[in-house]
Amino acid sequence: MASHFRCENVMVRFGGVVACNDVSLDVEEGKIVGVIGPNGAGKTTLFNVLSRFQDFSEGKLFYREQRIDRFRPHQMVRLGLARTFQNINLFVEQSVLSNILIGSHCLIGNPLASLFWLPGARRTEQELTERAIETAALLHLERDLDTVVKHLPYGHQKRVELARALASRPKIILLDEPVAGCNDEESAELEKIVRRINRELGITVVLVEHDMSMVMSVCDYIYVLNFGANLARGTPAEIQSNPDVINAYLGKEE
Amino acid sequence: MNEMGAAGRRFARGNALEAANLAPEAAAHAQRQRLALADAKARFQKQNWVGTVALFAVAALFPVLPGVEGWMAYTVALVIIYVIATQGVAVLTGYTGLVTVGHGGFLAIGAYTSALLTKHYHTELITGLIAGGLMSAFIGCLLGLIFLRLSGAFMAIGTLGFAFFVGTIVNNVNLFEGREGISLPKNRILIWEIGDVGFYYVALAVFALTTLLVYCLVRSGVGRALMALRDAEKAAESCGINRVFYRTLAFSLSAFITGLAGVLNGHIVRFIASEVYADIWYSVDFLVAAIVGGSSFLMGPLLGGIFVALLPFFLEELRELAFILKGVALILVLMFAPAGLAEVFGRPWRAWRRNKLERVRNDGARVSRASLDKLTKLEAR
Ligand SMILES: Nc1ncnc2c1ncn2[C@@H]1O[C@H](COP(=O)(O)OP(=O)(O)OP(=O)(O)O)[C@@H](O)[C@H]1O
Ligand SMILES: [Mg+2]
Repeated sequence: MASHFRCENVMVRFGGVVACNDVSLDVEEGKIVGVIGPNGAGKTTLFNVLSRFQDFSEGKLFYREQRIDRFRPHQMVRLGLARTFQNINLFVEQSVLSNILIGSHCLIGNPLASLFWLPGARRTEQELTERAIETAALLHLERDLDTVVKHLPYGHQKRVELARALASRPKIILLDEPVAGCNDEESAELEKIVRRINRELGITVVLVEHDMSMVMSVCDYIYVLNFGANLARGTPAEIQSNPDVINAYLGKEE
Repeated sequence: MNEMGAAGRRFARGNALEAANLAPEAAAHAQRQRLALADAKARFQKQNWVGTVALFAVAALFPVLPGVEGWMAYTVALVIIYVIATQGVAVLTGYTGLVTVGHGGFLAIGAYTSALLTKHYHTELITGLIAGGLMSAFIGCLLGLIFLRLSGAFMAIGTLGFAFFVGTIVNNVNLFEGREGISLPKNRILIWEIGDVGFYYVALAVFALTTLLVYCLVRSGVGRALMALRDAEKAAESCGINRVFYRTLAFSLSAFITGLAGVLNGHIVRFIASEVYADIWYSVDFLVAAIVGGSSFLMGPLLGGIFVALLPFFLEELRELAFILKGVALILVLMFAPAGLAEVFGRPWRAWRRNKLERVRNDGARVSRASLDKLTKLEAR
């Protein structure tokens, strides 16, 4: 299948630390792609590059063959990319519904029409609210719509973040450790949700995750990073039996 | 895209009932409950409207009440002007999270724009309001762009610098006639001259408009974007919110509202001099009013503006004491009710509503007639 999102030879340095060293990644349309690697391997930095929160000194970014090296983060959402954060980054003082509505910001249309409630704005608001409720239902959050986010348990907050990302109707979604800190039950639930997002909604998923059982079971193929550089790429089975990977990563853990 | 399943397409089209099939286990009950909740919320909104309209109706009757004299209308108009200016501050400080200690500068820009137009081109008040508001919004837009990278204490210092800058200009550029000041003729609306009572109604009308503007803003996607930037800037950008655009917009709107207050402030006393407008006390007063009243509540500027504007009035001889009392009030509020008086006074009200919603949620079957009709219609589709 065609390449959906791609980066080539990306370099990111923080002073002396090379967080991404000549990293390339090719995400195919409609797939679930895993990105794994030990702590500090540069996965989050790579995500920040892809969602344009982090500038890079060398390399190229393509979204469906369009060069997007200089896009700003909010423009990426218009292209169809959404992301979640490794450390939950929600509007904690606001309700779940507000959080999801903010996620659908790119669908409000002309901001001035929205501000002055010109004809159509009311309809748009209603539609966005209905969609927000649907998105909440997809993530089993419909009972928490009016709850202020900071009062929700951790696992729910993770799902709110996912709901917020989905609210922009993305074509590709970057998930940075969606099940970190969740218990087994929550992890299993999120795993199911990730599959649904991909199969039913047709959204391409890029997944950073330390939970190997999840990565190995949901991903179509996996990239392994080590010390900021590409180490391997392959199907879960290939990765599990790759000696380099076992040395660098899996071996160390087992 | 062609791999997208039927459910995905439904999701993409966003049809409420169809997409509910995505989670069939919860859908039926949820839909009823949702309608009941929407119903209750609509009722609350109606109550808000009725309350606001009643408030304005009382205010509109005030000058014709027996025993109310022209000077009283004048005084209340001054208070209204304070409240409007504070609304401007609230847009920036309360909803966008950018603390401003410089809105006296926008007050001055509004006042001088209209005063100069009136003096040199004999314009009337409505023209003055439009011009003053727009000029202030324009400068606000520029300031927003200049201060794009500032936040927190740096923003406070930057805006304070802006107030000083405006003060220096009106003090030293001949056009503004410094301490000599500009005297204005009797106020006119279109071709009619107005007195104190007439001016009161103009101020009230402007207040109604700015209140409507803030209300629309807060409930719109734009208001959500501003509050998102306030609460978590990075997360907001990840939601597609253009930080540069919305910050600049917030600055412009905020400056527009305070600029309108400035026009009124100049025309009500019909004298504009740098002695008044170069002083930063206005800036401080408005910020105190916004914080004491509660800058992210619609009622906040009203409560805070009344407090700050009327304090010196009640103290009469002891005006100096007003500064101290304002300071004390500010400290008390920051210590015990950091969200402001509006939040404190609104607590029982919000608790009542929360309970009501909770009851509706637990008892989702009770749906109003209108909602049931809506439900049947949706199901028929
Ligand atoms: N803003 C920054 N300034 C300086 N160094 C940074 C910054 N962000 C990341 N780094 C460094 O870059 C390297 C890669 O970090 P990154 O967060 O991308 O790793 P990661 O693979 O996401 O790790 P983890 O699995 O722990 O989340 C680390 O050595 C980190 O210390
Ligand atoms: Mg990380």
